[in-house]
Amino acid sequence: MGKKIRDWIELRIGLDELVRTQLREYRVPKNINIFYTLGFVAVVAYVIQALTGFFLLLYYIPQSEHAFRSVQDIMTKVPYGWLFRQMHVVGSNLMVIVLILHLLAVFFMGSYKKPRELTWMSGGVMIATVFLFCLSGFLLPWSQLGYWATTIVTSMPAAFPYVGDFVANILRGGDHVSGPTLNRFFALHVALLPPILVAVMGFHLFLIRRIGISSSPFGEAVEEAEPWVGYRHEQYNGQPFYPHFFLKEIFMCMVYLAVMFFFITFMPTFFAPEDANIQADPLRTPAYIRPEWYFLAPYQMLKLIPNKFLGISVQVIFVAVCLLWPFIDSKEKKNILRRPFLLSVILCCLAIWTVLTFWGRY
Amino acid sequence: MRYFLPLFLVLTLTTVTMAGYRETFEQEFLSKPWAGGPIVEKSACIECHTSHIMKPAFRAIPDEWQGSWHALNDVSCHDCHGGDPKDPSMSMSHVRGFVGKPKYEGVPEYCGKCHIGIVKNYLESGHGKALKATKRGPNCVTCHGSHGIQRATIDIINEQLCTKCHSYERAKVMKQALFLTEKKMGEIEKDLKALKNEGIFIGDDEKTLFSTHAEFRALFHTVDVSMVKDRTDEVTKRLEGIEKNVQRTLTELKVRKNFSAFLTLIFSGLAVAVAMLSATYKE
Amino acid sequence: MKRRRFLGIVLAVLGSTAAVSFAYPLLRFLAPPARDNKARNISIKKSDIRLGEAKEIVFNNKPVIVINRYEKGFVAFSKVCTHLGCLVVYDKGLRKLVCPCHAGTFDLEGNVLSGPPPRPLPVLPLKVEGDLVIIG
Repeated sequence: MGKKIRDWIELRIGLDELVRTQLREYRVPKNINIFYTLGFVAVVAYVIQALTGFFLLLYYIPQSEHAFRSVQDIMTKVPYGWLFRQMHVVGSNLMVIVLILHLLAVFFMGSYKKPRELTWMSGGVMIATVFLFCLSGFLLPWSQLGYWATTIVTSMPAAFPYVGDFVANILRGGDHVSGPTLNRFFALHVALLPPILVAVMGFHLFLIRRIGISSSPFGEAVEEAEPWVGYRHEQYNGQPFYPHFFLKEIFMCMVYLAVMFFFITFMPTFFAPEDANIQADPLRTPAYIRPEWYFLAPYQMLKLIPNKFLGISVQVIFVAVCLLWPFIDSKEKKNILRRPFLLSVILCCLAIWTVLTFWGRY
Repeated sequence: MRYFLPLFLVLTLTTVTMAGYRETFEQEFLSKPWAGGPIVEKSACIECHTSHIMKPAFRAIPDEWQGSWHALNDVSCHDCHGGDPKDPSMSMSHVRGFVGKPKYEGVPEYCGKCHIGIVKNYLESGHGKALKATKRGPNCVTCHGSHGIQRATIDIINEQLCTKCHSYERAKVMKQALFLTEKKMGEIEKDLKALKNEGIFIGDDEKTLFSTHAEFRALFHTVDVSMVKDRTDEVTKRLEGIEKNVQRTLTELKVRKNFSAFLTLIFSGLAVAVAMLSATYKE
Repeated sequence: MKRRRFLGIVLAVLGSTAAVSFAYPLLRFLAPPARDNKARNISIKKSDIRLGEAKEIVFNNKPVIVINRYEKGFVAFSKVCTHLGCLVVYDKGLRKLVCPCHAGTFDLEGNVLSGPPPRPLPVLPLKVEGDLVIIG
């Protein structure tokens, strides 16, 4: 019976050939390491967010009077509502961690170099989209924490000349965060950003398969790269993608889920300080407003640089440099261990980022 | 490409520093308290009362008020004293309802503008009657202070305060009558807060607790121990209802924790199994 | 090969446990909410509440006040003040509802007239049928 079904599908899709060429005969570089799995984990993390987000959509009310209470009802009244909500909250933070690790892994292994600049830049667009997801999602529970953190962030565009105020007003739907802001952020979070992310993700994955996985500069055999003169697809003699490397990817996904549930079980309020459970009150500013941890470093930098404008401009320039990095660092040598200057610069940046994040927390 | 970055930097920095929109930005951003800028005082009352030309006795008042329970709940100068806090010229004008400082024996009605239930009980009590008859005796300020008012606790009834006029015996009996109920209410409040911090909706129980607590405290102001004892049973029953809900929710939270712990174990087990399976494919 | 088969079985078992552990909550989550067994109505005789007077009842475990207003007919409010939850008191003379905790004042439509309450008093559905007033 099973064979009959398989034959039926085989005639119409040619599944056997697909599995053979795309999965089993598709080989990955010999010196592939565990960090290469992070991209897949990020995709799975996003799928979890999208699914749990959809389930939350069934009970969440995107209106300023009812939003907070609807979230509390999801946590209290709806059967297993707490499960999906906690997965969504913890998942959003874990996903950002996975993305940062993926970014660092790609950077350290020089995988952004020619001919993979488009992959890097589409990745940059994706992480910016994910930060927009985080920003818009943070306001949706309409808590004191979300409301005031959003107030800070939406007032930052006002720094820019001429268009600043206009941009800020468009973001907020007015001159301060209010009901219309919630509606806009909700539309952004649920309807505009997901297709954008999926489209760019599709492009990113297409590029990876089209050009081939970038081989790591570390590990055993460093395959000498011929100069890139015309298009070619990198072929490797390492392990088959399926099932060898695929199992590694599944392993990392299981680790991701185990960590997520560890947080949900033992530290359910780790990502929710007290202000996250008080309804937004536009007339009362809490004593300590802080954005989410991934925005703490830029926030702290803004507070430090005496000319606030310079603060924002420095960050914009930094983001532009990061996005265009493959063009700035265009030499073909990949091994970062043989480039002490770059290595020390990047380690310095990481150290500064960590310090600023912790500083911003207290 | 090599010159791209420096050129970009130079161009942006020059445009950025030369344009004249810094003022608007500073207004929008820097002046907000959360941006680290100075807190802009909008109250005329506080501005005058903290200035160096104010006499020292009055200069201390805004600070006292700032640390009070009233300040935390957005009750400020004009809510009690009247006047217009936004307009310095009308901040002490009778036209805008300014009533100044109350007379000693008029303090209960002064506080009673808002605290209606309490004043009613107080005026029927021995304390209230003594105040009205002799213009002496305890008024609200005697026990609660005037500007630095903190959240009332059972320890306001203490030997130092009550023996100003009479022996501590009667006060001790009253404190004992209140003690267990107050303790129970404190515990429920803590439990409700813990539940709230887990995202649980406790609005109904929170309101019932507040209402019961307020009623109980208002009752105390009659300083009639037998009345307090009579009503304690009823109050305790209501509190037990809330406690039942709280316990039910706490149990539910435990069940949730067990369920997610179970899932954690399953995924850890899966991770181990997949790792072992992956190891069998090592070439 | 034996090990692979064994691990495969382990994976299948754990995997299906995980799947069921999500499927069951998902089904409960998606199921329509349990409907309140037809909220019982409470009926009061019109004659029990004279013009200008009020009656306090308990409806669905919540304190409710029914007022026979001059010229505006019967109305039922929740007695729970929208500020912090104290129970409001009907002032016949002033024709207002006043909260004894912080003097929140409501008119006989439930609107906030003064004081700290942030929202109007919730109004309960009320019908007058014959000589009965039915709440709920």
